[in-house]
Parts: sequence; C-alpha cells; structure tokens
Amino acid sequence: MGLASGPACVASCGPVLVPSLLAERTGLRLNGRYLSTFLATRLLGYLLFAAVAWELGTLVSFRTPERSWIFAVIHLLLAGVLFRYAWSVGRACNHACASQELVTIGGAGSHRIPGAAVLGFLTGVSLCPPFVAAGVRAAEAANVAAAMLFFAVFFLGTSLWFVPFAGFGWLRRNEAVTTVARMAMVLIAVYYLYAGLMTLIRKSAYGY
Amino acid sequence: MATKVLPAHEPRSIGRSLLMTLPIALWSFLMLHGWYPQPNRSQLMAGILTAAFMVVLFFMMMRTWSTYRWRRVFFVALGLLFPVGFIHTVIAMRGTMGIPIEEMIAGRTPFCFIPIPLLILPAAFTKAIVFPGSILPNGGMSGGGMAAMAAIWLAITIVVGKGWCSYACFFGGIEEGMAALPAKATVRKIDSRWRYGPWAVLLAMTLLSLGLFESAYCMWLCPFKAVSEYVAARNTVGMIQNGIFVLLFAALVIALPLLTKKRTQCAFFCPFGAFQSLFNKTSIFDVKIDKTRCTPCVLCQKSCPTMALTEESIAKGETLMSCMKCGACVDACPKDAAVWHIRGTEVAVKPERARLMFLYAAWAMAIMFGGSIIAQGLATILHVFV
Repeated sequence: MGLASGPACVASCGPVLVPSLLAERTGLRLNGRYLSTFLATRLLGYLLFAAVAWELGTLVSFRTPERSWIFAVIHLLLAGVLFRYAWSVGRACNHACASQELVTIGGAGSHRIPGAAVLGFLTGVSLCPPFVAAGVRAAEAANVAAAMLFFAVFFLGTSLWFVPFAGFGWLRRNEAVTTVARMAMVLIAVYYLYAGLMTLIRKSAYGY
Repeated sequence: MATKVLPAHEPRSIGRSLLMTLPIALWSFLMLHGWYPQPNRSQLMAGILTAAFMVVLFFMMMRTWSTYRWRRVFFVALGLLFPVGFIHTVIAMRGTMGIPIEEMIAGRTPFCFIPIPLLILPAAFTKAIVFPGSILPNGGMSGGGMAAMAAIWLAITIVVGKGWCSYACFFGGIEEGMAALPAKATVRKIDSRWRYGPWAVLLAMTLLSLGLFESAYCMWLCPFKAVSEYVAARNTVGMIQNGIFVLLFAALVIALPLLTKKRTQCAFFCPFGAFQSLFNKTSIFDVKIDKTRCTPCVLCQKSCPTMALTEESIAKGETLMSCMKCGACVDACPKDAAVWHIRGTEVAVKPERARLMFLYAAWAMAIMFGGSIIAQGLATILHVFV
C-alpha cells in the first residue's frame, strides 16, 4: 500500500520538501542528511498520529469538524515554518545550512530544532489522502502496536519514492537557485496560510 | 525600453525593402485565406487590414533597419485586440466571462499555453493531465485541441526559442504598451533578484499543481484572467480568486510597467517565460554583444524590457537566457555592438543576415498566430459598424 501510494505522498509533500531541499547547500551527504531528518520526523508524525487516533478510537470515524481543525492548524504551522525558513535562508544565504538557522519551538540558542525535522513532522501528521487511506486500514488492527507497525511499514513503502530527492545534492547551488527556492517557499507558504485561514473561517461561519 | 532608436545606416531603398517584404506579403495573404475561408464583410475587411498591417510593419523593419519599435506596434495591437475577440467569443458561446469550475474540469475551456510547463510533472506522476482544456481535436472553445496547439507551439519554439514571448504571446502586449507610455521610468533601481521570480512561480505552481491535482496557476495566480475569463464567483473562494487576478493584473500589467518601463509580468512573474527560456538553448538565433565594438555604455542594458542584460553578461558578450529577442538592445546600441547572431557562426559577421533570417521565421509565426488573433479582434469591432 505504501509503495502504491508513494507518488501521491510525493505530490502531497513535494511543495514543502522540494524548495526547502533546494535551499540547502550542495552535497549528497548534506542533502541525504536533510532528507533522513525529514523522513524520520515524518515517521514520528505517522506513529504519533496512529497511536493517538487509535487510542481515541476515531481513526475511522474522524468527524469533519475535528479534521477541519487539524487541517487548519497544520496548514498555518506549515505556512509559518516556510515563511521562517525562507527568511532564515536569506540571512544564512549560501554559507550556512538554513535548517540549522531555523529557530522554532523552544526559542534560541541550544534549543534550535532543524527545519527539516519540523517540516517532516508537520507533513507526517497532515491528513493527505494516502494517509487517510492508511488510517482506515490501520484501524482494523487488533491493538495500538499493530496499528503503529502498519503505519511504520506504510511509511517505509512511501519513503522509497523520496530517495531520489537525495539526488538534489548534485545540483549546484548559487544565488539563483537559493533565491528561487526562497521565493517558491514564500508562495507556497501564502497558499498554506490561505488554506488554513479559509478552513478556520469556514468552520467558524458554517461549522464544518 | 528603447525610447531612442539610433539607426546606424541610411534607410534602405524602397524597392529593395519591397523586394525583401515580398515573401512576407505572400505569406500574409495566404494566411488571410486561412483565417477566414468564407468570410463575411467585417471578417474580410479585418483580414485585409490585418494582412496589410503586418506587411507594412515588416516593410518598415526592412527600410529602417530597426526591429523593436515596429514589432512593438504589432505586439501592442495583439495584446489589445486579443481580449476583444476572446471576450466576444466567450460571451457568444457561454453567455458570460465567468467560467464555472465544472466546465474547467470537463476541459471545455479555450487553449492557453501558459499552464503547459506547470503540468508536465503532474502528468508524469499521475498519468493524467490536469489541464483546463481538451487534448482532443475539436475540444475546448479553441476548437483545435491541446495536442495540435502544443505541437504548433513546440515547432515554433524550437526555431525562435524565447522569441515566442515577443512575437506570439497574446498576453504581453498590454504591459509593453503600458511601458511605452511614460517618457522616463519613475522607478529605476530594481533588485536584480526579481529576475528569478518566474522560476519561483514555475516551481511553486508546479509543486502545488502536483499536490492539489489542479492547474494551480490558472486557479490562483493568472493576471490575465482579469481580461479573458474569470472564475465564476459563486462563493467566497471564487471572489478571492478573482480579486487576486484583478490585483495582479493591475500591479504587474498596468502599474509596474508604467513606473519601471519594463515588462514586469513577463520579467518577474510569468512561469511560461521561465520555461521558454530553456528553449533559448535550442534556438539557432540569439543576440550577442560584439566585445570589440562595445564601449560599454550599457544603453542596451537600460533598454532591455526584461532585464536580460547585466554588466557581467555584457562583458561576456552575451544576453541572459531570459532574452526575448525583441530587438530593443540591438536598436538602442549606438555602436552596432549588440547584434543578431546565428549559433555556430562568428559574432558580428553579417549580423543583418542573421536578423533577416530570424525575422522571416519570427514574423511568419507572428502572422500565423498573432495575425489571426488581431483579425478576430478587428472583425469583432468592425462587426459593430459594418
């Protein structure tokens, strides 16, 4: 199922992953590390969601109002992180890894959390179609451990589709590539901001 | 923008200019038949006027040795008359400029080339084309079908590269006209990084099209929806979309060209322009700077409507890949250092021959593609009076 859903997962995570990966420095190892962090926290998001949803017993019958809240909050968080990322890349430019510059949860100094981790986690808990499909299947599991195992295997299947993105490490980075990546991040962030706000407004006005 | 043209030569003789215009005249009248096989009176008049218009402009290009100002006349006419004919057709067929979303999904929209590059990746991933038009013949309001139109676009593009943006695009003319209006630019200092804007829009819209499985650019960012067909505003989302279209049009096509004298939408926003830049590598025609003649006075850089020349590129003797081959720099250069060039030949060896070869190809395309649009717009106007 993970393998079959891979392209849809790439399509869903691509707007977040591609520009932020392009904003990194050149180097297969560096880009591989970025991708690994992204995927690892995405797995964390999957497992966390699986555990919480299974425990609450709402994995299948997830009602629209709750789903709207999750959609809205995740979209707004993604917008915020992408804005921050685009800004930090501008400051760090080509000399430092943008993700290391990203200050998110916990403030400055030693509590810096790499951008790849935040973005990976947020895409991990976002309710994209393949994720929902996997959720339905996982709900049939006998216990929470089985549900989490299902999500872990599902994650492995989808992750194979992400491996080629490590090849971005071969792309030469210059001001043009970094600037294009930053501008694209801003545009995508604006879209997520809009999507998040619209969901909130719709929910407030119409209750769904 | 090339506000001052400094011809390096005496005008060509009328006889010689006419002789050089003859192939274009024949092509024009051949196309006239193609536009309207069985024309009514207004269509016949529009066709004759358009053919004559294109021939006269080419004649003037030959006679004056200048390209940019005559091409601009054609291009502005194309930009202004396209919405006239288009809106008339849309209203005649649909009764409104607003396109319902179900019409879009069903592929019953007119062909537009701009989303082509944005949808290659989604098509590769999903094996489906999320294009607001039909791939089949007689599909969509253009009647030609996307496959045929894409084939024409590809053939033209391979020859003229990004020249498409100066000789075929029916959107760029309005902003070029706006940019020509003020005598001087109010905003002169533009951060060169804005040049990367089209690539960013291309990347972001491609990824969002992939993620949302819709043509994100058409749905959210196309400034020309304001003068072609907007999204039928049945709800708040539709109103927001139309608001974005109008704002982008007002800013990028009206206000900024007036302030900067640049084609700001083309230079800083259009994703198709970015994609088309790649084909400048396949085109045999380009513009070079003859370093032996260049002073450098940077008049070419100032005249370029899309910032496709920088001091570094001039020092290297070439334009950036975003060059639209409009001829502004060639016409603006007082030393004849900016020249038309055919790849694989020496720079500045018979540049006029290179210009002629390019212009024959580009103008033939302009007549075939733009001519039909101008004729349609004119026929719509004439229909009111005749």
